Amino acid sequence: MGKLVQLISHPSELRAVLQYKLFRKPVHENDGKYKSEELAYCYYMLGCTSRSFAAVIKELEPELRDAIMIFYLVLRALDTVEDDMTLSSDFKVPLLREFHHNLKLKEWSFDGSGPNEKDRIVLVHFNSILSVYHSLKPIYQDIIKDITDRMGNGMADYILDEEFNMNGVATIKDYDLYCHYVAGLVGEGLTKLMVEAEFADASLTKDGFVKSESMGLFLQKTNIIRDYEEDLRDGRSFWPKEIWSKYTDSLPSFREDKSPESEKKGLECINELVLNALHHVKDCLTFLSLVNDPSCFNFCAIPQVMAIATLALVYNNPKVLRQNVKIRKGTTCNLILKSRTFPGVVEIFRSYVRDIHHNSSVSDPNYLKIGIICGEIEQFCELMYPSKGAIPAGVKKEPHPINSNVAKRAPIDNTISKTIKAEELKCDLTIASAVTLLGAILFYIRS
Amino acid sequence: MTKELRSVLLVGGTGFLGLHLIEQFYRNCPNIKIYVFDVRTRPEKISKYFSFPVNDVKFIQGDITSESDISRAIEESECDVIVHSASPMHGLPQEIYEKVNVTGTKKLVETAKSMGVKALVYTSSAGVIFNGQDIHNADESWPFPEQHMDGYNETKAIAETYVLESNEPGKFLTIALRPAGIFGPGDRQLVPGLRAVAKSGQSKFQVGDNNNLFDWTYAGNVADAHVLAAQKLLDPESSHAVSGQPFFITNDSPTYFWTLARTVWKADGHIDKYNIVLNRPVAIVAGYLSVFASKLLKKEPGLTPFRVKVVCAYRYHDITKAKTLLGYKPKVDLETGIRYTLDWMNESE
Repeated sequence: MGKLVQLISHPSELRAVLQYKLFRKPVHENDGKYKSEELAYCYYMLGCTSRSFAAVIKELEPELRDAIMIFYLVLRALDTVEDDMTLSSDFKVPLLREFHHNLKLKEWSFDGSGPNEKDRIVLVHFNSILSVYHSLKPIYQDIIKDITDRMGNGMADYILDEEFNMNGVATIKDYDLYCHYVAGLVGEGLTKLMVEAEFADASLTKDGFVKSESMGLFLQKTNIIRDYEEDLRDGRSFWPKEIWSKYTDSLPSFREDKSPESEKKGLECINELVLNALHHVKDCLTFLSLVNDPSCFNFCAIPQVMAIATLALVYNNPKVLRQNVKIRKGTTCNLILKSRTFPGVVEIFRSYVRDIHHNSSVSDPNYLKIGIICGEIEQFCELMYPSKGAIPAGVKKEPHPINSNVAKRAPIDNTISKTIKAEELKCDLTIASAVTLLGAILFYIRS
Repeated sequence: MTKELRSVLLVGGTGFLGLHLIEQFYRNCPNIKIYVFDVRTRPEKISKYFSFPVNDVKFIQGDITSESDISRAIEESECDVIVHSASPMHGLPQEIYEKVNVTGTKKLVETAKSMGVKALVYTSSAGVIFNGQDIHNADESWPFPEQHMDGYNETKAIAETYVLESNEPGKFLTIALRPAGIFGPGDRQLVPGLRAVAKSGQSKFQVGDNNNLFDWTYAGNVADAHVLAAQKLLDPESSHAVSGQPFFITNDSPTYFWTLARTVWKADGHIDKYNIVLNRPVAIVAGYLSVFASKLLKKEPGLTPFRVKVVCAYRYHDITKAKTLLGYKPKVDLETGIRYTLDWMNESE
């Protein structure tokens, strides 16, 4: 009921929800038919482990859909081993390090997960995953195996890292490295899969994966900032000491100490973390400009626009220190609808970056730095899509590399833009009809 | 391989930017002889900020509109390159701008050329493309406005055009740098003006929505760009690409106008508890009323339509050309530059 009230109090979001639920057509329809029992079961497991992610994966182009689904499940299996507190380190570490070898087997499964381990299903039924894995193109198999190897080893290293387990993340460099293992590697794997399928520009695999790294780190850092209170409750912390130690002697104090002074310091700490995360934005936008397949674009863009919206929400927000903050469901629908074209994504980023700028406190030690990074991002957005009337008549501005990306993808964006407009029109007509009908009914009742 | 500069003549070298030019040529060009030509004599006292030894700089007094004065300075300095940064401050009569910016520049160029000077770097202004309209990420392809907003920028544009058209490869090489919003030690307009606003209690007013991005440039960075320009002009490998060209010079950090202002006030120990926002149309009307009332009362108006337009306009630039062709990178960031400026102001109070 709370959600309905929330929606009614935000009419444009209500419209977005209606449009999203009733009128939005995925790039690729998923008919629910699978060519094998094992494949069907894998999609079932996907739905069990991540409902939101499952929805996005199912809309991918068929060939890549299966590969990314398997990639997701394999990493979820790794994560399930790593997360399981009923398993000893001595047991977990070799299992994680050698996990990629299991992918070569025809059959392997593991039923030693704790009974309450949420996603144990992927380990118990790993045989189904293996069956589908081996039906993928060999190059996709190699990509998944390589990332599994590196991620498994990364996880094992962290389990054995006493300093990390006792005190959390120390330096900003450590913070970036942790996010690399948790999210950057996933971004790298996905990038390789998309490039191999020719749905993304090959240059993304030739830049040392700098841009895909930023894609992963931007998401992960946003979640880490947002999840402060929840992580503390779980006995963990991922905020880097190099940053938080400027503001407090003890990270939990932001939650425990209710004084205005403590809150102020907590906000300054959040804001510095947001500043750190914003440095990934230009790489993220550049990455997205190079993804040409619409379903892959959606797959990559949706999490990024959610992340920038979340960053704007957590910025200078004292609630972060006390509870889990989330963007509204209506906002989510709006973002998904608007982020189907690259100009739409850029507009979303620009809008939220401005929100961050306007929510700044002059007394914040990073006040000017936040202003500068927001200005830099706005300048980059202006470079890609100039404001109306910004470029004087007759001026031929010197193009930047990003401008050729934008030009190359313009036909795709224009096509999708037409689809979106038709969809919006249908939605508006339906709403207008419904309102008219309701009005007529009320009229007849009254007379 | 960059040819080592032996001698430079800094025209306008005792001014705000001029002192920074002395400093940067001193720091970046070992063994260079620095000559300063200005209508003013050698400054009595130089801020501790500057590290160049005053006695190693030769000061030549003269008038830029006098051909004989110019030729005497060129002869004495035997300069490889002239850096021309002489310019009157904003707010002076039009005839002063015409005399110094246009006539003076023409005299300087003609005399330098005829006396065999190899190169000239001209300090133009980012304002040459501004006419009160928004400037979003402009680069050097932006045209001059048909009608300039003020006499200062009009004369700077005329002078710049003359300088760049005087470029003759193999004989006389020219370049124009267009710095935006220069501030730093020696600044008597930008940062001091903001400080005065805070002291008068006006800092709580925000004119416009503070969405407009603005470029400020630290004076030391502007001077550094001039050193780079001089070096590139005299280097046979790079001179072709840069000569006869204008270049925007900024701190490469466009920032919201009031965010910059508040950063200055904050560094000065002043943070307002709240802001009163006047949107642009309201502020312009208030500006006209203010001008009208001030005329009746015979005092200087604080708010004018001109100032409203200036503080509400987007004015930021794409300096890719300076970064790629000159190798320019701002070495002093905005925050540090503001601190240096306030330290300098406190030193001289």
